[in-house]
Amino acid sequence: MASHGAGPQRPEGEGTSSGLYGWLDERLDLTAIRTFAAEKTVPVHKREFWYCLGGITLFLFAVQVATGILLILYYRPSAEEAYESVQFIVTQVEFGWLIRNVHGWSANLLIGSAFLHMFSVWLLTSYRRPREITWVSGAILLFLMMAFGFSGYLLPWNELALFATKVGTGIVGAVPLIGPFAMRVLRGGDEVTGATLSRFYGFHVAVLPAVTTLLLGLHVLLVQRQGMSVPIDVEQAERAGSPPKSRPFFPDFFLRDLVLWYVAIAIIAALAAFLPWELGKKADPFAPVPPGIRPEWYFVAMFHTLKLIPGHVLGIEGEVLGILGFGVLALILIAIPFLDRRASRGERNPIFTAMAWLGIAYLVVFTIVGYLAE
Amino acid sequence: MRPPWLIAIWVAGVLALAGTGGRVAHLAAQPAGQPSGRVASGPNGCVTCHSAEREASLSAPVAAHRADVHGQRGIGCVECHGGDATTADKVKAMSAAAGFKGKLTGQAQVLACARCHSDAAYMRTFSPKQRVDQAVEYAASAHGRRLAEGDTRVATCASCHGAHGVRSASDAQSPVYATNVAGTCGSCHSDARRMTRHDGTAHPTAAVADYTSSVHFDALSRRRDLSAPTCNDCHGNHGAAPPGVDAVSNVCGTCHAVFAARFDTSPHKPVFEKACVDCHGNHAVVRPTEALMGTGAGAICVTCHAEKDDPGFRGAAAMRASIDRLSGHIAKAAGVVEQARNAGMEVGDQDLALGKARDQLMLARTDVHTFDPKKVEGVTADGDKVAAEAEAGGRRALEELSFRRRGLTASLVLILAVVGALTLKIRQIDQRRSAAQ
Repeated sequence: MASHGAGPQRPEGEGTSSGLYGWLDERLDLTAIRTFAAEKTVPVHKREFWYCLGGITLFLFAVQVATGILLILYYRPSAEEAYESVQFIVTQVEFGWLIRNVHGWSANLLIGSAFLHMFSVWLLTSYRRPREITWVSGAILLFLMMAFGFSGYLLPWNELALFATKVGTGIVGAVPLIGPFAMRVLRGGDEVTGATLSRFYGFHVAVLPAVTTLLLGLHVLLVQRQGMSVPIDVEQAERAGSPPKSRPFFPDFFLRDLVLWYVAIAIIAALAAFLPWELGKKADPFAPVPPGIRPEWYFVAMFHTLKLIPGHVLGIEGEVLGILGFGVLALILIAIPFLDRRASRGERNPIFTAMAWLGIAYLVVFTIVGYLAE
Repeated sequence: MRPPWLIAIWVAGVLALAGTGGRVAHLAAQPAGQPSGRVASGPNGCVTCHSAEREASLSAPVAAHRADVHGQRGIGCVECHGGDATTADKVKAMSAAAGFKGKLTGQAQVLACARCHSDAAYMRTFSPKQRVDQAVEYAASAHGRRLAEGDTRVATCASCHGAHGVRSASDAQSPVYATNVAGTCGSCHSDARRMTRHDGTAHPTAAVADYTSSVHFDALSRRRDLSAPTCNDCHGNHGAAPPGVDAVSNVCGTCHAVFAARFDTSPHKPVFEKACVDCHGNHAVVRPTEALMGTGAGAICVTCHAEKDDPGFRGAAAMRASIDRLSGHIAKAAGVVEQARNAGMEVGDQDLALGKARDQLMLARTDVHTFDPKKVEGVTADGDKVAAEAEAGGRRALEELSFRRRGLTASLVLILAVVGALTLKIRQIDQRRSAAQ
């Protein structure tokens, strides 16, 4: 039967092998994938370690998906049952405690590795032409990971999560023009209630995963199509005639990735066994605000900054100014490849390198100060 | 509104019923008058003159009256003191013809207050739930009876409420506000000279000092628990009198109803002359502990049941042993559960079981008032079972923790082995590639 497909067709009986592989190869063109994988190489230079951060972030995301699916089997997203269902998971379900703790700790390591990945790419100027879209998708993925963290924090429906979500969604409500509407959309009403829990659950297990999968697919596809970027000085040396060094992705680089993934598993297992996530007290919207309310560590720097901004600056409400500032910074972060014109010409730009270090210093210092201030 | 002569006759009748004898005739003869209304309008001659008085005792009432609950409702001087506030002529204003009564003391003062406060129709115009039985109660009180007998040193309305700066009883600055009552009563009842009777016998003066050492005062003053009792909650306020011996368990049972019900079924009920007071004291009620019970040092039971072959002695020892056993089980279980919690284990169910065991302990302490060792043992035995469940749950959590750590060690060894093997493989590949180049 004649094929009407757009791609080139392999002539029947040509280059096929027998068995299941042959059957699949004929239909999925596995040989092309194998050839691509066999020919894929990774540049070799003294900063090649940073290439592993993308892989470990992807691995931790896979861990989140796997453990998340297992948790969904028992979790019940309602104000009446959420807390009890998590309690059931950690006390009654066989290895439920392990799955919940791995999910919790892996989420934190995932966001940590995503931050490190972003800053390593920034400092290596890997966002330069033609990888602008890879950077933009990666930056948005980082925000999505933070959204995963924010929505997941409420799901155990305990006291700390309830009040932290009140504060967090309250900050969203301070955004000019769309803030009050956005806050009502997030909360499913004026207050954080069971409706918010259902909504956050929907975001956490459906909306965010769908968007993330699409964007992650694009991100990984672009990395495969364009290959690994090399630092500017290495690129300049190659242009000057230095022979490019590389190693095969399979198995050389993949095995190195695998070592790091095993180390990550070991760290997560140790954290799960020695520092299990507390269940806390069941959320009670009418209870007084408990002490020690704070967001997850990756929001602490921003949260503390908002606290330090004076009530009014130049006639503008301090909190509004802070939120607008973070919004502008997020847009600048996404637009870096288009702003750094020198990098697009293959030249180093000390201003953007300094911005990266400034960003790291800000996050580290304000996170530490934020914790110490409580 | 009730006519004044009728109120006067009625108060006199009440006092007569309370055994006031010849003084009633004197009270009934006082011109009672009628409350004229709430709001005093126009110039007030009393205020004009007394404001200008240099003598503080004459000018102070004017200032105090401005904050007075009566003053704020427009009830002026003449409503109590009589006289004519509309004239600037002092002599005329304070003449007998104008009904001037001067400074009110003793029964005249009680009558002045009762004139309005016993008039239900009049008081309803201020508050629909305002009580109007204070004068009746006062007449029956120890204070009222002694006043009727001619003892003018006893408390009258103004002694507790104040004269010109009267505040609502719900006002925290009022001398009759719950937290101030002991001080108000103590101003007389802690005064040994005042408490010495005409015949030289002394009325006890330690009651307020004893009360301030009690668990009740602690709750009221330190924890600001306004439901905790103060003097008037046991003795009454307007009808203040020592509770009769038969009434003690009823008085205590007003709040401690379950204890009182248990005690009423006990063999001690017909024996204890002062009911609750026999063991717990009256004013200096301290927080009861297990030490009060049993046969050891500090135990009250042995004051009556001192002999070892006395069934009461054995019963006291048995009840104490039951309660001590349950307390010990709870403490042990709580320790295990806490250890598991500190290690990060979820122990919500165990906390629930511990709560139930503590409830049983509380119930056993209550059932001690039946003085029935078998009943107490039944309750503590149930508590023992629940405490044992909590302890077993805590131990399971600790075992689970140990299992997790063993599992972690095994998995870490396995991971380390895989990482080692992978590292060797990577090195081998690198060496092979170097050799090939």
